[in-house]
Amino acid sequence: MSALRRHATIALAIARKDALAELRGRQAVGSTIFFAALVLLLFGFALGPDSGRLAEAAPGLLWLAIVFGGLLTVARLHQMEADDGALEQLALYPVDRRAVYAGKALAGAGAMLLLGGLLFPVVAILYGVPLGAAWLPLAVTVVLGSVGFAAVGTAYAGLTVRMRAREVMLPLLMLPIVAPLLLAAVKATVAAVAGDPFGELGAWLQLLVGFDIVMLIAGAATYGFLLED
Amino acid sequence: MPQTTIYVAPRLGGAHGSPPPAVDTDGLARLFGRSAALAGVSLRIEAGRTVALLGPNGAGKTTLLRILATAIRPSFGGLFIDGVDALRHPEIIRTRVAYLSHASGMYDDLTAAENLRFAATMLGWSGSEVATVADRAIAEVGLAPVADDRVGTFSAGMRKRLALARLLVARPSLVLLDEPHAALDEDGMGLVDRLLGLWHEFGITVVVASHQADRVNRAADATVRLHGGLVADVTGNGVRAGALAPVIPTQAAAVRTSR
Amino acid sequence: MKTRILGFAALLAVAAATVNGLFIVPADLNQGDAQRIMYPHVASAWLAYLSFGVTAMAGIGYLVRRDLRLDAIALAGAEVGVMFTAFAIWGGMMWGRPVWGVFWQWEDPRLTTTALLLALYAGYLLFRRLTDDPHRRAARAAVVGLIAAIDIPIVHFSVIWWRGLHQGPTIGDPSKILNPSAPPLFVLALMGMLAAFTLVWGYLMIRRYQLARTEWQIEEHGRLGRISAARRSFITESITEEAAP
Repeated sequence: MSALRRHATIALAIARKDALAELRGRQAVGSTIFFAALVLLLFGFALGPDSGRLAEAAPGLLWLAIVFGGLLTVARLHQMEADDGALEQLALYPVDRRAVYAGKALAGAGAMLLLGGLLFPVVAILYGVPLGAAWLPLAVTVVLGSVGFAAVGTAYAGLTVRMRAREVMLPLLMLPIVAPLLLAAVKATVAAVAGDPFGELGAWLQLLVGFDIVMLIAGAATYGFLLED
Repeated sequence: MPQTTIYVAPRLGGAHGSPPPAVDTDGLARLFGRSAALAGVSLRIEAGRTVALLGPNGAGKTTLLRILATAIRPSFGGLFIDGVDALRHPEIIRTRVAYLSHASGMYDDLTAAENLRFAATMLGWSGSEVATVADRAIAEVGLAPVADDRVGTFSAGMRKRLALARLLVARPSLVLLDEPHAALDEDGMGLVDRLLGLWHEFGITVVVASHQADRVNRAADATVRLHGGLVADVTGNGVRAGALAPVIPTQAAAVRTSR
Repeated sequence: MKTRILGFAALLAVAAATVNGLFIVPADLNQGDAQRIMYPHVASAWLAYLSFGVTAMAGIGYLVRRDLRLDAIALAGAEVGVMFTAFAIWGGMMWGRPVWGVFWQWEDPRLTTTALLLALYAGYLLFRRLTDDPHRRAARAAVVGLIAAIDIPIVHFSVIWWRGLHQGPTIGDPSKILNPSAPPLFVLALMGMLAAFTLVWGYLMIRRYQLARTEWQIEEHGRLGRISAARRSFITESITEEAAP
């Protein structure tokens, strides 16, 4: 078996294991999505009943909710490893760290995609934003946003999982890092919903692609150092 | 008392072309916060020996095993396994070492079979072999009837059996066991004893930490007793303790700051 | 001793550059005296970037060489960088008030980028404080410093685009001051200030590095001491055991 195929097998096995555990422990997935939807509802209260203003703010609020839900998601994917010594065991398997990172990031991106996919209709209904028409660019935005968030989140959750005060440190370290991702995703969503009147959608998607690639490379290169004691 | 035999450790190969020792540690010390769990352990274990690691709670048995397994790094000291520098090349060591820790390292939401197949994949078995190897190991430890139950429903003893099954999936030259008898019933302890015999027969080096001195001593060639993070005494064949080497500050501390 | 001389030189250079920037260089035609803030503001922003670059490179160096001295350099870079970043933000706000009428101008990419920089590296420093083992701290901090550093250009681009992909440059935009049409006298004054600040930067970096090394030596002595203590108590116990019948 070639090295690359072995890496792919490892990564897929890890992602599959995470997906299985996530879907079986259904409460965790469900409560994260419920939490994010609740955030959207509370934003509605915070910004008042003016539906025009809500629709205008909708893309930003949507992505903030995805970011908050995402923080919980990536943290949980690593917390699962920390229970009953699985993380230490994972570190002791004779496998390439980049493959482990790829697997965890793949699982993270999948969970984020689920979260984003379910929150979009919530926003469409709650804030009265017509999202259906621009589904293709929106889907691309969600995919790119999910991958980027999972790329950073996997590395940073691995960094903080065995740490004191990890509940605070993960958002504290991650939020400034994903600021450009948030910015680009919101702008792309705004542009997509408006039918891209200024032709800037492509630029924002390119920025997202750039972010994803850079962060995936950085995460893969450094994840091994985070697994070690 | 620690033995005071001083030896100059040849790192690759023994003195007369004999194979390098399976385990060769040089003043291993490890601190957790402010307390020293290990204060300088120098041991040399010949390949193929079964070594019992005894001592009271807090003697440093688990810390020593975790360092040998490359799960944690020593604060000071050196470690060579089969002549390979384990601190520099832990990735090589991990292909040869199988480690049973206190924790099972299993995922609660997966079944026993799924957990073990995942482990088999991680340990390098390829697609078609994974299921066969995993199922055989599960049957070996007597968990076949509950193979499709979630590990979350397992008792501590069943988890321990499952963790033992993972050792059977690995192909190690060095097996490290931390309290293998704990939490097991009489039948389970018999299983551990049988495995100890099997590994010994196949010439696999085993280091087993236990409070059940009589049980492990039956299988062991040698006994190492730890106390307060140091080697209190060594009996039997195939193991030698080195002198207490002075603790050498790591290179960065030795460099004087210029003013 | 050499470091002390560097410190005095830095002090003199800053004094000279300050006198030059305040009294010798003429005031800007559009902004008047407010524009003078530009000299320390831009200089400290540049040095903040330099510091964070040093932190990232030293971190990579640590991961390769496992030498804690490189980690001390990374720490020095982050702390000095955070200081210059905070100074740059303060300068930017002082400049923004007379020019734009507000302290915080969201449309200024430099100001918003710098605010994110401050958040990134304040997190880095906090993270270091929460990890005890020196090598674990060094390795993880290196990863944080590296990811933060590669995030900086992405943040910068995104914020610039955010201001408006199709918007013309605003009049009085600080980022336009250093273009070739800027009076050479202004450029010269900025260069002078930058040189002076760089001396300060070098002095602070060296001092912080030395402090980190000393802190580390104290820690290491403590560690060795605890191991010696464990050995002493072991020997004492063995002797008492043997003495007992």
